[in-house]
Amino acid sequence: MVNKADIRVVRTACPAHCGIDACGILAHVHEDRVLKLEPADFPDPKYRRICLRGLSSLDITYHPNRLKYPMKRVGQRGEGKFERISWDEALDTVATRFRKIASEYGESSIGWVLGGPGSGTTKFGAYLRLASLTRGTRVSTWGYGDAGLPCGTRVVFGTHFPYELLAGWSDPKLIIVWGSNPGESVPLNQMRRIMDAKERGARLVVIDPRFTVTASKADEYLGIRPGTDAALALGMMHVVLERGLQDEAFLRLHTVAPYLVRTDTGAFVRGKDMGQGERSDYVVWDEEAQSAKPTGALETTAALTGRYRVNGLEVKPSFQLLQELAEAYPPETASEITGIPAPLIIRLAEEMVRARPVSIVTHMGLSRTYHGDLSIRAVAALSSITGNISLSSRSGHRPIVLNWKPFLHADPSGPTSKRLGVLQMYDAVTSGKPFPIKAVWMAFINFLNQCANSNRIRDEIFPNLEFIAVTDLFMTPTARYADILMPACSFLEFSDLIMGPHPYLQLQHKVIEPLYESRSDVDIASGLARKMGLESYFDLGEEGFINLLLDSGHPSVEGIDVERLKQGPVQTHASQIPDRDDEIRFSTPSGKIELYAEGLHVFGQALSVYLEPLEGPWSNEKYPLTFIQGHSRFRTHSMFANVPRMLELNPEPVVEMNPLDARARNIHNDEWVTVYNDRGRATLKVRLTEGIRPGVVNICEGWWVDQFKEGDFNALTHDAVNPVQEKVFEPNMAMNDVAVEVSKA
Amino acid sequence: MAKRLVLVIDQERCIGCETCTVACNLENSPAAGPWIRVETRDARIKDTPVGRYPELRMEFLPRLCMHCTCPPCVDACPTGALVKRDDGPVILDEAQCDACMSCQDACPYDVILFNEEKGAVEKCHLCSHRIDQGLEPFCAICCEGQAIHFGDLEDPDSKVAQLVRDRETFQLKPELGTGPSVYYCPPLKRRRLV
Repeated sequence: MVNKADIRVVRTACPAHCGIDACGILAHVHEDRVLKLEPADFPDPKYRRICLRGLSSLDITYHPNRLKYPMKRVGQRGEGKFERISWDEALDTVATRFRKIASEYGESSIGWVLGGPGSGTTKFGAYLRLASLTRGTRVSTWGYGDAGLPCGTRVVFGTHFPYELLAGWSDPKLIIVWGSNPGESVPLNQMRRIMDAKERGARLVVIDPRFTVTASKADEYLGIRPGTDAALALGMMHVVLERGLQDEAFLRLHTVAPYLVRTDTGAFVRGKDMGQGERSDYVVWDEEAQSAKPTGALETTAALTGRYRVNGLEVKPSFQLLQELAEAYPPETASEITGIPAPLIIRLAEEMVRARPVSIVTHMGLSRTYHGDLSIRAVAALSSITGNISLSSRSGHRPIVLNWKPFLHADPSGPTSKRLGVLQMYDAVTSGKPFPIKAVWMAFINFLNQCANSNRIRDEIFPNLEFIAVTDLFMTPTARYADILMPACSFLEFSDLIMGPHPYLQLQHKVIEPLYESRSDVDIASGLARKMGLESYFDLGEEGFINLLLDSGHPSVEGIDVERLKQGPVQTHASQIPDRDDEIRFSTPSGKIELYAEGLHVFGQALSVYLEPLEGPWSNEKYPLTFIQGHSRFRTHSMFANVPRMLELNPEPVVEMNPLDARARNIHNDEWVTVYNDRGRATLKVRLTEGIRPGVVNICEGWWVDQFKEGDFNALTHDAVNPVQEKVFEPNMAMNDVAVEVSKA
Repeated sequence: MAKRLVLVIDQERCIGCETCTVACNLENSPAAGPWIRVETRDARIKDTPVGRYPELRMEFLPRLCMHCTCPPCVDACPTGALVKRDDGPVILDEAQCDACMSCQDACPYDVILFNEEKGAVEKCHLCSHRIDQGLEPFCAICCEGQAIHFGDLEDPDSKVAQLVRDRETFQLKPELGTGPSVYYCPPLKRRRLV
């Protein structure tokens, strides 16, 4: 029996890739063993939380299958045959191979494929610093599911995420959870807020193809056909605009709605178009003066609708164009496309106007379709025309600005790394476009398991890579393909700076020494740097790296250092709020909310148009079912898929199917079935449930390849690159836009 | 006045995540299965709704020892291993348990488990090792939805007293007269869009 007096309690933080949560954790330690984790206090008690995965993360630290020492591959790639080597040999091999490949194919042929570091920072930063100093290629993994949302919000708001803008109200009357499931997945920290608001009388509406846990809490559930969210938003806009219920004051003050657009080029009219020299001011139609004039601060008399002639050009306010678009989506049309009854579309639109303020809680679900960025833009447009954009986030909170310069541009006098999205890396490896990637370093990523079109990865990408180095905690499906495999630490074994939960910063404080021969990623990067003669950039230690990040000089992190973070979470400082509402500027080209983006006119996407999903059933007779990937509370992506405590509760992958679809295929509950298309297959048990829309099947992502009877869930997905997303940010994996068929195995 | 320690579990806030189950397993290391488990009401398969798409309902109900005011298990136990404490918890002294299983037969809530290894039964003790130090049961502090409330029903200022006073509550099998110390708040009524 352990004597209580011998137990020390260390405060740390869980960095698991739930994204923005980062629960505070108290680790109870006896000698050098962690006995138990529990949720830690916050100044605001609402932030004291943990989840079933966080509690179980000890099972990762002490998992018998942890990688224990560095290894080199001795069998075929994928076979899983490895031989123990020393750290010295492992890092020497990587350094030698990287040097050779770089000299042969160019420095940018070394790809640093860094997955989701969760809310961790320095472990990510250390590799960025190395990539920068060696002028390799930083392969961004936003595109493995998380790029669609920023592609949309960058266009509309000029920000990477829309969360506070759409959901920032402290006391909403109506909450619309649109394409996300905070009851089980991100944004988890919203669920308590949603339930609190509901207790105070807010109504909750959930839009999702699956009847999720979140949907079970809804006052109204709208079961939508995947990928048709923009059509729903346009249908609702139609209702609002037809009744003239739009918030015109908001539109004039904060959006490009009154700005005139040339109907010939689709570009905004500028001062110079009116013969005012080189002036680039936007132009509005002044209804009082009945003439066009450059925008001023307050467009109180600017027309929002109509068609005008300016200097011989036909022009319309951009809002007029949006209205014309919405006119094509009466509720009946929107209903046909989305599968949501027209009366519900009307009622929800009317409620959005009646029940202000409205919070829209959204995340990645609806943006993981080929045109997911347009879905996000349409939702943002709907929020804007009803005046339900919270401006506080543009004026009071966010961002915590960390100092990434020493990581992204470690040697300010020299060149730095190139950048490539993960989907763009596919062609870079297989055909050298836009430039060749010949070797990769993969850290905190289970690439084969979690990325699109796994058979292409197996058959084309891995064979075309001359060298693969992997750090991980386990022999994941990806790790099996490594040439050099290195054991990384679990979060209890090293320190890091944790961004969150907003508005806090936390220290992930090292609780125990690294087990076996495992090392933190910062330590591994530093070791490799030494082999490459770059040690002078890496002699800071873990805490030094953290302080480097905090050293941005930004007022939001002023006075915060590692020593303060050791005492507990530190609240970042809110930024200055402009005195006047109209001084709030967005980071878009116009400084306004861009319901119309002139730069995307060439793609036919200046407005948030609705485009059919790439693999919608209407275009696909052979594969009539739409396959989507929900997120389960038992895993964070592919983490925890091998944790016995989770497997006890959720033992195996299943494909969820509506009984109607099952009957048509003579499929019975709990049978083995194969989900397939031309790209690949996955064989697993079927779970019949009314909780999924007929015509849609779901496999919750994250199960490891070897946990399927045959194939894997990403054997079904495609790696199609959306050129608009490529232009705006980076192309996204459309894992919720996949056509399949299912039959008995 | 003697304390009356109870749990009030709010179904409206329960998201069925089973963090309570995992928390209990970690805190109490039960050998025979979880002492608190989450049932999906009326469903044939856990975590699935009842009804026809899209008109559906899914409600979660964490089930554990009811720490009855008149516990049939205590009455049935011939060795005195099971005891009802004055402040509420029904606790087991496993050294005195001879595994006769009378308690399991007597319990209408199916929450007494048999631990083969120890040759004794086991059950939830409301984390008595924690509450005796002024802490809350581990399931309550870990509850993701903040659905599990613990406190003294005799203290009118406690959250539990407030919930029992202000919200509709129900108990499981009240007709048996066991007087459960676990109260449930049913989900709020749906307010459809009109």
